[in-house]
Amino acid sequence: MIYSIKILWLLLKTQIRSQTQYRLSFLADVFTTAIFSSIYFLAFALILQRFETVAGWTLGEIAFLVGMTETSFAFMDLLFSGFDPDSFSPMVRMGSLDQFMVRPVSLTIQVLGSRLILRRMGRVLEGLAVLAFGIVTTQPDWTWLKTFYLPVVLVCQVICMGSIFMMGSTITFWTVERIEAVNILTYGGNELMSYPMNIYPRWLLFIFTYFVPFIFVNFYPTLYFLDKPDPLNFPVFAPFLTPLVAIGMALAAYWFWGYGLRHYQSTGT
Amino acid sequence: MDTIVQVRHLTKEFRVLHRRSGKWGAWNDFFHPQYRTIRAVDGISFDIQPGELIGYIGPNGAGKSTTIKMLTGLLVPTGGEILVKGMIPWKDRRKYVANIGVVFGQRRTLWWDLPVIDSLEVLKAIYRIPDPLFKHNLGMFRKILDLDSFLESPVRSLSLGQRMRAELCAAFLHNPALLFLDEPTIGLDVVAKERIREFIRHLHREGTTILLTTHDLTDVERLCERVMVLDWGKILYDGNLQELTSRFEGVNEMRVSFAENGEDGLLEGLEPPVREGRYYVYRIDPRKVSIPDLVSSLYRTHPVVDLEIRKPKLEDTIRKIYENKSLNTPD
Repeated sequence: MIYSIKILWLLLKTQIRSQTQYRLSFLADVFTTAIFSSIYFLAFALILQRFETVAGWTLGEIAFLVGMTETSFAFMDLLFSGFDPDSFSPMVRMGSLDQFMVRPVSLTIQVLGSRLILRRMGRVLEGLAVLAFGIVTTQPDWTWLKTFYLPVVLVCQVICMGSIFMMGSTITFWTVERIEAVNILTYGGNELMSYPMNIYPRWLLFIFTYFVPFIFVNFYPTLYFLDKPDPLNFPVFAPFLTPLVAIGMALAAYWFWGYGLRHYQSTGT
Repeated sequence: MDTIVQVRHLTKEFRVLHRRSGKWGAWNDFFHPQYRTIRAVDGISFDIQPGELIGYIGPNGAGKSTTIKMLTGLLVPTGGEILVKGMIPWKDRRKYVANIGVVFGQRRTLWWDLPVIDSLEVLKAIYRIPDPLFKHNLGMFRKILDLDSFLESPVRSLSLGQRMRAELCAAFLHNPALLFLDEPTIGLDVVAKERIREFIRHLHREGTTILLTTHDLTDVERLCERVMVLDWGKILYDGNLQELTSRFEGVNEMRVSFAENGEDGLLEGLEPPVREGRYYVYRIDPRKVSIPDLVSSLYRTHPVVDLEIRKPKLEDTIRKIYENKSLNTPD
């Protein structure tokens, strides 16, 4: 375990070194990414100003929602670059995975260490800025529990979305090509969680409550942080289900990944 | 010495989609797929002793790569057994692969964007290579493989030959007792090939067991004592290289040019020659005709200007094996 973490760190460190070799160009990259990803929220904010609220949510409150998912999605995108189905599928096709298999290191570690797109830091910064804006404008009532729970929720979000990435990549063991539908869950999931869930139709809510329980990952914790009433009448512990959802999704992803690897070992490509 | 690799009745089958043609072909393939089973490796058995350098040859699709993949633990066989140093490759993968080295000529192991030396440093940590051993091996390989000129360059900027040399170095840094080389010389020029052969020869002398897959039969001729010939998933020949050439009626070629051009070139006991310009080309079976006797009598009786004997090429021999599969069916 310590060995695996050491190797992962070494792999990431070498990636970081090669990407930050040209400091100015790297910083420019990060900055551009940050600007680029803020355009979306800025446009949204401009429109929202005309309506003042959406389903009873003010701009600041929505900024809180958006800031949370943006930060964790971007951080996940950075950390799980190797499991991005877009880059994983060529790995299966070109046989890089075979190379990983002849090395005495866990494949999960090697895939995680295979790619780290550092300029995605820019989007993390953007997410944090939006979140900060949300916090400043809404002035939530901070308690000790909330202060402690906020980073927990962020970590859980990273885990949840990373699990979806991992499952999406695992599918390519069967399909070889990456599957567009996976993006509905990753990029779509991120998008979906950026809005108050009560604006969605019932059937969609049903899916994102009982099948892919994204509703407990961002919406409920945010209700709790902002002390907003629950429009859907879930039990009071709903905001605290986030870690359970994260653990469940991580286990499912890890199991599916292992299953995919065994399949790969018996069929090749 | 103990057998290092033991393979018994090894079989690998793949299920592939049988594509149908016609107007509804694609539709039917999608909704009612029909599969066909292909047996890529068909019940092969062999042993490898420590220190052997074996050429594993066969045409495309013969099952070479599939065998290598099973031996390296990438694929799980459909049937049969493999035991390498007492381990089953696909079980306990991580423990097993620490003991072997693998080079796939068509694929890359080194990190694309990193300088070669950084890749090697990462491998040092992965294989937990102690400092003195790392320094010793690197020093040696730098010399044999001539790595110095590109050790600091990122892998993506290397030429194919340089990359292959770096790959070989990477595969052997941890001193594995067993090395699998899958087409290490593919696409390389003569000089680069020779350098790589030199390296393989060096490892062989040091006592490494090597299984070499190649299309280039020169590799085999220069390096291997033992060859295994594979086709259609079956081993057609397994044994000594010299024996291989003699067993499969090596036909020699004698090319002669005479001072008088009017000769019909007919010689007693030989088939009539084929003319190629000034030369008369005879096919000689060394088991029927003694070549020294033939040559000396020829000089006595004819005004010979030039004479050349050509030995059979390994390539022709191998082709003959593929053509007459029934000649040598392993037990």
